[in-house]
Order: sequence, then structure tokens, then C-alpha cells
Amino acid sequence: MEDAKKNIEKAQAKDASLAERTKDRVIFTPAVDITEDSNNLYIYADVPGATEKGVNITLENDVLTIEAQVEEAPMEGYTRTYSEYATGDYYRAFTLNEAIDRDKIEATLKDGVLGIVLPKAEAVKSKKIPIKAG
Amino acid sequence: MRYLTPFRFGRRNVPEAREFEAHPLDLFQREMNRLFDEFFKGTGLRRWAEDFESFGSFTPQVNMTEDEKSIVVSAELPGMDEKDIEISLSKDSLTIKGEKKEEAEHKGKEAYCIERSYGSFTRVLPLPKEVNPDKAEATFKKGVLTVTLPKVEKEKGSQKKIKIKAD
Repeated sequence: MEDAKKNIEKAQAKDASLAERTKDRVIFTPAVDITEDSNNLYIYADVPGATEKGVNITLENDVLTIEAQVEEAPMEGYTRTYSEYATGDYYRAFTLNEAIDRDKIEATLKDGVLGIVLPKAEAVKSKKIPIKAG
Repeated sequence: MRYLTPFRFGRRNVPEAREFEAHPLDLFQREMNRLFDEFFKGTGLRRWAEDFESFGSFTPQVNMTEDEKSIVVSAELPGMDEKDIEISLSKDSLTIKGEKKEEAEHKGKEAYCIERSYGSFTRVLPLPKEVNPDKAEATFKKGVLTVTLPKVEKEKGSQKKIKIKAD
């Protein structure tokens, strides 16, 4: 288990497809967990500091894009004694391989975690086939 | 003895201590520590040691800022509940403890990709100035913990000039 070490440093985004931005801010790639059950696909992304207003989720041509903006509290008159993390916005895109019911996508933001529930389209839902005893 | 070990486990968790004890020997010691750290970094041994040490735990990143009146420590703890975070304060250090449990979100689901961190953590941060523990405040908002620690105001006039009497 290579990931045992969890010194959670935020990785800076280096997506080439990401267009140049007008704002001069650092963009991070949020850490995500992706899970699935028979009905839905779940994505949880760590976006500490992001506000509901600043979160943008789009699904276009099977590409799901998450954008989250962080509102920084101004710290006037303060000097930085010690700094391990920087604040910036979050961006990450995923290609979805499965048919998703677009109208029923739900997203929540709680304690800095963005949760997205992507319901699978009826056609691809796995069905259990009962075996008839002969 | 602590100062003689070439590198200490968990050293990266601790910011540089107060600087006032910059004795030449300390400086030399620090330089030696740095040399050892660099050396082990190259071999990958140090990394391995860190892996071993932090198994099932993680290290949240913290920032510390200060102005004349207070010290503000902030930490990114996404997905945690304020009930799971414990903050304690001593005269010269702040301890943040907590545990993030995995089960709730992933129960009964098949996981494809787990990048987020789970487990417990403890961070002890040396404080650069003495603070007033009674007036410390902490807030947890949008996954960011902010602890405000007012500095102890130095009593003015505690220094007294003593007259020397001449015979």
C-alpha cells in the first residue's frame, strides 16, 4: 500500500486542457474518492474552504468538471509565521465511461467535502437475473 | 539526547522551534541535521521511515500567522466533524488531535479510487510567543479549522531601575 503515507499536500493542477485564467491564483487538484453501488456513482472531493457559491459542476460530452473557488479571509496586519499550505481554487475533470442520468445528478457541500451523486441511467443498471430451477 | 540523534521521526510535523537559542553549537547541530536529512532523502530510506510511522494516519497541513495581539493557526481538515477534533493548549504549544473515519461514506459501495486521507492525526505546534489559554477561540468552517490565540501582554513596568547608593 503505497498510499499509506498521508501527508496531504495539495497537488497543483497541471491539466493542459485547462485554459489560461484571468485570475492570478493557484489551482489545486482536489483529492477524490470514487465509489459505486448498483444505482449510483459517487465522487467525494476534498475542497476545504470552498463556498457553495463558488462551486461549479458541469457535465459536457461525458466530461464531468468540478471547479471550486475558495473565498480567502483577508488577514490584514498579520505576518506569516509558518506556512504549509497555500490557498487557491480547485479544478478537476473526469471522463465518465458510463451512461449517467443527467437530470438527477445531485451535489452537496459539507465540511469542505464536495459530494456528487451520479445516478446511472436505467439502461446500464446491473440487473440480477434469477435462475429458475428446472 | 534528542539533539544528538541525526534525524527524528516526525520531525517534519514540527515547525522550527523558537529562534532565540541560536547558540553556535545549535547552529552546527542544525546544519548536521540538515545534512543527514538530505542524505536520507536521497536513499529513500527516510521516506520509508516516514511511511512506516504514519501508517493509518495522516498529517494535515497547517498555517500560522500572527499580529501584535494574537496568533492564528489554521488547518485544512475537510470532511471532519468538529466533534472529532480536539484542541489543547499548553503554555508554549498547541496540540490538534483528531480522527477521520472512513466507513460512513463508503459503506456498501465499491471503491475505485481512494485519494482522500483517513485515520487519526496529532500535531503539536510550538508557539512563538506565550498565549493566554483562557481567551483562545476555535472555529470550524467549510473544512477549515481556525484557532485564535491571544498573546499574553507583557506587564509594563515590571522592569525596575535600582538606584545605586554612593557612600
